[in-house]
Amino acid sequence: MAAKKAGAGSLKLAAVLDLNEASNLHGKLVSMRGSDLKIDASGVERVGVQCAQVLVAGVKAWEEDKKSFLVEKASDAFQKTMQLIGINNENLVAKEI
Amino acid sequence: MKKKVLTVDDSRTIRNMLLVTLNNAGFETIQAEDGIEGLEVLEGCNPDVIVTDINMPRLDGFGFIEGVRRNEKYRAVPILVLTTESDAEKKNRARQAGATGWIVKPFDPAKLIDAIERVTA
Amino acid sequence: MDMNEIKEIFFQECEEQLAELESGLLKLNDGDRDPETVNAVFRAVHSIKGGAGAFGLDDLVSFAHVFETTLDCVRSNKLEPTQDVLKVMLKSADVLADLVSASRDGGGVDESRSRSLVKELEALAHGGSPSSSGHDAPKPAAKAAPAPVAKVDLPKPSDDSGFQPVPFSFDGFGEDDEPAIEGSVYEVSFKPRRELYSKGNEAALLLRDLSRLGEMSINCDTDALPTLDKMDPEASYFSWKISIRTTRSEDDIRAVFEFAEWDCDLEVKLAEEASSNEELPMVPVPFDLSILDDSAGGEDEEKTAERGVSEETVAAAVSAAETASNVSRTARAAERKESAAAAAAAQNNAAAAAAGAGQTIRVDLDRVDRLINLVGELVINQAMLSQSVVENDATGTSAVNMGLEELQQLTREIQDSVMAIRAQPVKPVFQRMSRIVREVADMVGKSIRLVTEGENTEVDKTVIDKIAEPLTHMIRNAVDHGIESPEKREAAGKDPEGTIKLTAKHRSGRILIELADDGAGINRERVRQKAIDNDIIAADANLSDDEIDNLIFMAGFSTADKISDISGRGVGMDVVKRSIQALGGRISISSRPGFGSTFTMSLPLTLAVLDGMVVTVAGQTLVVPLTAIVETLQPEAAAIHSFGANQRLISIRNSFCPLVDVGRVLNYRATQANPVEGVALLVESEGGGQRALMVDAIQGQRQVVIKSLEANYTHVPGIAAATILGDGRVALILDVDAVVAASRGQSMKPEMSLAATG
Repeated sequence: MAAKKAGAGSLKLAAVLDLNEASNLHGKLVSMRGSDLKIDASGVERVGVQCAQVLVAGVKAWEEDKKSFLVEKASDAFQKTMQLIGINNENLVAKEI
Repeated sequence: MKKKVLTVDDSRTIRNMLLVTLNNAGFETIQAEDGIEGLEVLEGCNPDVIVTDINMPRLDGFGFIEGVRRNEKYRAVPILVLTTESDAEKKNRARQAGATGWIVKPFDPAKLIDAIERVTA
Repeated sequence: MDMNEIKEIFFQECEEQLAELESGLLKLNDGDRDPETVNAVFRAVHSIKGGAGAFGLDDLVSFAHVFETTLDCVRSNKLEPTQDVLKVMLKSADVLADLVSASRDGGGVDESRSRSLVKELEALAHGGSPSSSGHDAPKPAAKAAPAPVAKVDLPKPSDDSGFQPVPFSFDGFGEDDEPAIEGSVYEVSFKPRRELYSKGNEAALLLRDLSRLGEMSINCDTDALPTLDKMDPEASYFSWKISIRTTRSEDDIRAVFEFAEWDCDLEVKLAEEASSNEELPMVPVPFDLSILDDSAGGEDEEKTAERGVSEETVAAAVSAAETASNVSRTARAAERKESAAAAAAAQNNAAAAAAGAGQTIRVDLDRVDRLINLVGELVINQAMLSQSVVENDATGTSAVNMGLEELQQLTREIQDSVMAIRAQPVKPVFQRMSRIVREVADMVGKSIRLVTEGENTEVDKTVIDKIAEPLTHMIRNAVDHGIESPEKREAAGKDPEGTIKLTAKHRSGRILIELADDGAGINRERVRQKAIDNDIIAADANLSDDEIDNLIFMAGFSTADKISDISGRGVGMDVVKRSIQALGGRISISSRPGFGSTFTMSLPLTLAVLDGMVVTVAGQTLVVPLTAIVETLQPEAAAIHSFGANQRLISIRNSFCPLVDVGRVLNYRATQANPVEGVALLVESEGGGQRALMVDAIQGQRQVVIKSLEANYTHVPGIAAATILGDGRVALILDVDAVVAASRGQSMKPEMSLAATG
């Protein structure tokens, strides 16, 4: 695993999380492992299942690493699509504090 | 933002019908007359969905669909094929080439809009 | 644009496709085996069918469908396009054309003909390929979609005992027998495969559409998901178990997955009531999905408010969330701007592409006609202006004069350009002729090839529209009477297949259309005899071969019963000649016995303007079309020779030419004018011979705008049309051929009146 970075990483998700974005997102997550991660999903307009898969795999990986992985801000589209496809993982469905 | 539809059809009649139907339904419409032009126009028009005919000069619908699916940037765009209902073989070929769905002719505005709504967010 | 306009476009396009179809078939007939030719032919029919379907033109669709199926056999090399096959196809193209015009203009088609062709086409398709697609329903009415294969695993109704073991329709069951209010609960199991995504489908959208059918709970099975580093981001790992309460049928549920059913595992079952929520931790999906429908989302105030409310029901709206959604809106606004710019750029691209590809526009003919009329008025007005300036400015050197000259130049150019807009190639007319040759040849049992040349020669649309009829007449004659039967041809040592050649070309500001056959030519003996029998010529008249040949154009020549055994022609050629003359055209024939006949038509390029010589005859101003005039000369007394009662000849360079007194022919004066006091216009007449038209004086040359006399007054023998001169006076345009014919009639039969030939 990569050397631990100081502090938490943060990632802003693209507006369109479609087939094309899945590999991109996957690559970013893989490169950010090892530190806490805050995800900003506030600009998301469309979510495809393949990106959701990558995000869920991310949650599991971070759990394994015992780091925090949290979607802090999420657009309506992001939240609703996640609910629609039955992903109710606390880390992904932004909890209003 | 209006949804943007790229239509590819060599028939002027069908092109006009598509244009009228799509504009009335509030879509932005960009049109090409065959597969080659379709691939040219695709670059830089970034459509939300593509509607294409099969029988066209220069490059037919199958070739066009394959071209879109090979395109790094636009391979995820949903593609609807205009096809005749009886032609299961063509439907199959279109699907193999990478078509998302189909619109059965004769041309019916309601069916067209419905199919577009189904494959777009 | 409304549907009627699109329909109009459809019919225009049909014309083009029919032309494409025919020329493609003819190419195939000539041995062209380029796959693109076959494709183009197929596409033409396919395209007509597609548009016809959209307008519910069922007859057209069903014929096109059968035709298309057979063409598809040729395309896929299951059927060899032999001459016999092509014969059927060419006939089918004709029927298709008939169906198109029947659809457009109403009226019927020869049903027995199309039915028998449908049979022939089907026979070809089946013969060519026993397993061909000929079984496709030819009727568009057969709308029943193929039943989904998956239907067989329909669940049994929960209570078997309540039903008789009688086969029944599950469709009906789903739609009619369900309790309408509560609905039933279905369990849907959905596992997409990778291909579903790579073909542009999206599981999330399918689930969205499913959720619209009713009240839905969902469980996402993520067990198949590998670890982050082992996963393929584009593979499919998630699958779903969905429970949905809906009043809709199972087919409706399956229809949601219509586009995806080949790329996923799908099960739909009627749930047993109790088990619906038992084992699986289902997440209800009760919220409003508007955000997913509408990417315009944040633009709409009402929607934002609505969403606010719905959010409250899901979770408490806290300030943090508020901030988040503000952020999201801002981001979206920015996005919109970018996309708008992108869209504009794209539109430019598309426009540029369009400009590169199609360099034509379609304009309503009325608009062009209006423009042409206006330009005509402009020309007249400019001429009047010039004239009045000239009259008031004797020096002729002022700046006004210079300006006027330029104006004249410009007017002329505008006129030429405007006329060019309406110019069209003769191709469509020529193509129609090939059909007529086929049909008539078929009817009379002859084998004839039509060769066309110069189809792209352009001529004003008004002329094109009017040459079709006389040309058709002539083509029929050529097939029926011109070309001999195959046996006769063979006996004469000719190719049993006759050839008719149709040529168009431009010649000194006119269009020349030639129709040549390689038939037997005019039988002069019999034509002459017929003319004598019909009192057209005197029994002792001494006529040249040319003059005899041209007798067939005489009125009255064909009034007798059938003369088709004359190996020339004659049926209604006077009518043909009259209609050509009405266009300001000329027609003549030359014939070589045993080798065939050639008709030559010379027509003006436009019916709107004319270059004319303005002359004075007995105090009247007349315009003589410049194209008719070979030269002008000043007769000298020594050159004038009289013979007979009132016939005169003028000798020009050692040859004699009949002198025609225009004023006398038109009855402007009772006595003959003195030729020496006038001017002679040497004109070419149809028969090839020249005549000298005698007028009093020449005023000048100018372009005049043609105003129909028939439309405004009535037909006047010897006069082709009228025009308005620069000084505002009306001048008549001389019908040179009519005048010459009148004078020839006099020479042959003095009592023959002008009206009979005019």
